[in-house]
Amino acid sequence: MELTLNHRNEGDKTVLEVGGEVDVYTAPKLREKLVELVGEGLYDVVVDMTKVEFLDSTGLGVLVGGLKRVRSHDGSLALVCNQERILKIFRITGLTKVFPIYDTLDEALQDG
Amino acid sequence: MAAVELCLPADVAYVWLARLVVCAAARQSGMSDERVEDLRIAVSEATTNAVTAHRRAGLDQPVVLRFGATEDHTFEVTVVDSGPGFEPVTRASMNGRDWTIEGGLGVTIIRELADDVRFLQADGMRVSMRFAVDLDANRPEPALDGQADLSTRRG
Repeated sequence: MELTLNHRNEGDKTVLEVGGEVDVYTAPKLREKLVELVGEGLYDVVVDMTKVEFLDSTGLGVLVGGLKRVRSHDGSLALVCNQERILKIFRITGLTKVFPIYDTLDEALQDG
Repeated sequence: MAAVELCLPADVAYVWLARLVVCAAARQSGMSDERVEDLRIAVSEATTNAVTAHRRAGLDQPVVLRFGATEDHTFEVTVVDSGPGFEPVTRASMNGRDWTIEGGLGVTIIRELADDVRFLQADGMRVSMRFAVDLDANRPEPALDGQADLSTRRG
């Protein structure tokens, strides 16, 4: 099982591309990456989940942790996701009201 | 399909295997792709809770998943652990929940995705989830023969 993490800067934002399966085994790697970005002073993050194949509540918890971290620096954390099966668990848990979620990376980069 | 039992090492590195095996069995039983995806998440949540409970309690024994289709077109998965157990959150307690709490969402997700779920605390935790198998969802259209009544065909 694989989790891929790649980040790059796009203007004043940092895009973190996540691919593969985010579960209790792989989520710590995502957490470390988010901590690392904030540690480098990158506080406006767009997590591109277009290539995520699986995400459960452990992954949600890590994203919530990331959001808290960037907000403590007046930053932002937006998500790119257009997969219904993943959006569903954001809706179930009420997190669609907490994260800005965009269909495409372009929309996320243009907004805010 | 007779029930299958999977003894899974209490190690977070194996939760994917529980998802893979249970979902393969569910697909074989005729569950629709969309419901298999719901099942995949529910199994992951229940197995993660069980494995994590064993790790926290320092228990070496495996967690056990028992699963299979029943005669009434239902796929049932039971995840059994030997941990200290927990009081599952209720739907009501989710209202106005503080979003900054990281964790505790697994049970809510299971409740929403499964058609039925039971949490039983007895020598550990036993989480039984039921998913109806809609046998018509993936079935190809029947070939028309001379006797077919078009008005009753599913479309």
